[in-house]
Amino acid sequence: MLTVTLKVNGESRTASVPPETTLLRMLRDQLGLTGSKLGCDVGDCGACTVIVDGKPVNSCLMLAMQAEGREVLTIEGLATMDRVHPIQRAFEDCASLQCGFCGPGVIMSAKALLDEIPDPTIAQIRDALGGNLCRCTGYVKMIEAIQIAARSMRGEQMEANR
Amino acid sequence: MDKTVDKNPKVAEKVSPAETILKEPGILREPVAAPLVTYPIEVVIPKARQQTPAVGQRATRLDGRLHGLGQTGYIDDMTFPGMLYAKIRRAGVASARIKSIDTKEAEAMPGVMAVLTGKDVPNNSFGPSIKDQPVLAYERVFHAGDGVVAIAAVTEQIAAEACEKVKIEYELFTPVLDPLESLKLETPGVHAPSANIYQKKFIKKGDIEKGFAMSDHIVEGHFTTQMVEHVPLEPHATIAMWDANGRLTVYSTLGRITLGRADLASTLGIPISRVRIVATIVGGNFGGKNEITTEPVLALLSKKTGRPVKSVFTRPDEFIASTTRHPLIMDYKTGVTKDGRIQARKLRLVLDGGAYCSWSETTLSKACILSAGPYNIENLYAEAYVVYTNKTMTGAMRGFGAPQVCFAYESHMDDIATLLNMDPLDIRLINAFHEGSISPTGQKLQSVVVKESLLRAAERFGWNGKGSTAGGSKVLPKEITSGTTVRV
Amino acid sequence: MKKRGRGMACMWYPIGFTVAANPSSAVVKLDEDGTATLLTGTVETGQGSLTILAQIVAQELGISTDDVNVVSADTDSTPMDTGAIASRTTYVTGNAARLAAEKVKLMLFDVVAPLLNVKPNQLEAKDHRIVVKGFPQRNMHIGDAANHARTVTGEPPIGSASFNPATVALDPETGQGKPFGTYVYATQIAEVEVDDETGDVEVLRIVASHDCGTPINPMLVEGQVEGGISMGVGFALQEEILFNANGVQINPNLTNYIMPTSLDMPEVEVDIVDNYDPSGPFGAKGVGEPTLVPTAACILNAIYNAVGVRITSLPATAEKVFNAIQAKRNAEPKQITA
Repeated sequence: MLTVTLKVNGESRTASVPPETTLLRMLRDQLGLTGSKLGCDVGDCGACTVIVDGKPVNSCLMLAMQAEGREVLTIEGLATMDRVHPIQRAFEDCASLQCGFCGPGVIMSAKALLDEIPDPTIAQIRDALGGNLCRCTGYVKMIEAIQIAARSMRGEQMEANR
Repeated sequence: MDKTVDKNPKVAEKVSPAETILKEPGILREPVAAPLVTYPIEVVIPKARQQTPAVGQRATRLDGRLHGLGQTGYIDDMTFPGMLYAKIRRAGVASARIKSIDTKEAEAMPGVMAVLTGKDVPNNSFGPSIKDQPVLAYERVFHAGDGVVAIAAVTEQIAAEACEKVKIEYELFTPVLDPLESLKLETPGVHAPSANIYQKKFIKKGDIEKGFAMSDHIVEGHFTTQMVEHVPLEPHATIAMWDANGRLTVYSTLGRITLGRADLASTLGIPISRVRIVATIVGGNFGGKNEITTEPVLALLSKKTGRPVKSVFTRPDEFIASTTRHPLIMDYKTGVTKDGRIQARKLRLVLDGGAYCSWSETTLSKACILSAGPYNIENLYAEAYVVYTNKTMTGAMRGFGAPQVCFAYESHMDDIATLLNMDPLDIRLINAFHEGSISPTGQKLQSVVVKESLLRAAERFGWNGKGSTAGGSKVLPKEITSGTTVRV
Repeated sequence: MKKRGRGMACMWYPIGFTVAANPSSAVVKLDEDGTATLLTGTVETGQGSLTILAQIVAQELGISTDDVNVVSADTDSTPMDTGAIASRTTYVTGNAARLAAEKVKLMLFDVVAPLLNVKPNQLEAKDHRIVVKGFPQRNMHIGDAANHARTVTGEPPIGSASFNPATVALDPETGQGKPFGTYVYATQIAEVEVDDETGDVEVLRIVASHDCGTPINPMLVEGQVEGGISMGVGFALQEEILFNANGVQINPNLTNYIMPTSLDMPEVEVDIVDNYDPSGPFGAKGVGEPTLVPTAACILNAIYNAVGVRITSLPATAEKVFNAIQAKRNAEPKQITA
């Protein structure tokens, strides 16, 4: 058994896991963060996407021990007690999610994109979502929502900068 | 054979992770559920949800917020105290007789709590129309995804490893893989003594020969479609548990819980009132989660072990062990006058019905009924057959045969348009259903808007009525002239 | 060289089960503040059926979507439902829900009528009120009415109903009969770009004009069309389960089973045809499956329009398209008549 300590959603967390445990399994089974989903377990579908040290990652392809000492952001870390994240708000308003299973992964990919490119083109959005499979929605309303969230986040940034 | 379960399972000195941490010095915290942000976040109700009248509003979905927060509870997100994990060993061979199953080594593995084979299932067959599907294959294997042995263990990994340790001896048969081969009467029955053609449907309207005689052109087309899978993002998942009164509760991704409950009651041999099925929000179905899969197996494993048992399909399981879309082989022959009016249509559909019937009867019926297209055709003959093969079971998938036949009849329609040098839009407008049209099965149709949809789409698209003039020279469709097939 | 082409396909699709009885039951309970609960055995699989059912019940009772709480998918506490299959939920379960809500409404009218000094059939429910038809100022808030029903009259409004489409069995020889209650119709038109040196097909744009009767929630209808089109694109160009000679699948994984990603989706324009079917709840029919039915056909017709080859087997992979283009090129010299 290995002991892994890392920062998840801003909080220091520790778990004891068999060495072959993936980050995804540790998040879901040990840390009770079931928002990241298991869709294929081999990095094909993106349902397990989380952000590690600022980069979007298929957490099923990362060993828990590889995340030692790193900062991980999961879907559970986006909203606060006061409000949902603008991406989550836009997804809700645009009915971007249907069955919702791919949702957390898509939203994390979107967050990683908007953190790097606050004003993305549609092509850049499609590219950022390229590793997230969705069977229900055809991605159309997701792309719409990400554009709306981007505008909203830029507006807030301008407010904050004042 | 002995039906008892190991009464004293050798459980490894396996200590749960929580306890491990408490034992190890220097680690102060037990992993608890993260303080999830729940409510009340911004209880702002979107306007559309507050409006009356409600119909027609672009109301947001109530589950939309939970989805976005990652709080929707799918079955794999659920755990229960003492829960075990089950894995199923699948045949891996397409057609075989099971000679022997040796589970001794698997049973002896530390952490394995129960093992199940087909003989342990009270009524080992089910199916929405033909009851030809086993819960676990016991004597015969009909496709490579057939489950043969189920194992419940304290972790998923141990269950999977134990499955590898099961020794199964097969007598292999040559699998029937080509539906056209299966259609031939001399091919040995996949489910002998039942015939390979397990259902047929016919539509006969008017006088087909007279229709062809009245036609200026007769065109043929041959079309085939492939086997595809639903690929719901969420794999099939089930948790089964009993209470002390012998009442079974099953959490499942099943889309048809009333039917599922009846199937569980019948395969387990218990009254319906003792079965409860709860289906949470499912991560996509598309037709693939409409019949029981592991539910009876998990119920029996749970009964044997006295603990809740969970099973989640792996992604490969989704492909090999759940239903798929019927591949179709479609032959069309249509007679038209030179102004584009269809006089007669004759067609044959052969559906690859896979290893078990599942929803094939419905698919066959729908495909046959829809096969002539949304067109007024006075003289029609349609025949449709579904045959067994030793491939993955084909069942319900979004459209039930309609996407396949639409591909055929609309490609065919464009071929006819090309031959007559007509605009694809015009030829459709000439033949399409209108209000009160009579369908191929003699039904008077109401609220018909085919032509409206054609015209609206054409306008939005900017069709311009230019016809099929792009692309330079073309390969022309097959036309039949004076009894022989001639490539025009 | 990249060549563009366009192709169309139209279709019809039935709502409900083929001939066989496929009932749905529903129960509606009115709370004493005028909000309601709907019990339904249907399972939400992502299509948004629970939202639609809430809208239908809300419409019948004259309250808003947010006032309806939907409880679903538990065989212990929700009434039977044949299932979310065959695009039947809006039509069949929707009708059951509407009928159950109507029973609740009529119970309420019976309670309110004497209070407003009218006959029950002179009342209607709208905008959270029970209103005398033609005299809107004479009304009672639905909450007050519900509270009165429970605490004074002693008849808490609750209604249960079932619905099953009327069908006639098909004759085994001629197939004649009435297999479905109703059908929906649609047309999709695709614009594609084919690279005639590689056979790669890119779907640029699809215009989809779909009939669903009354769209209970146009935003969710769009979602279904967009999702169906993505499945149709995969069916047309990419997806295929492959078997080896022993009948074992070769590609049971998402690495080698190719399905559409965000990069494969065309621009989609959704148009909802104006229509009303009197046999459906508030004129609605359904839309779940029809959305992917014409997609492959219109894409393949567009390929023909672009490069003149008729691909007759799906999927139209780049390899197939390229080989067909080559075959056409090789055949061409023979077809030139002197």
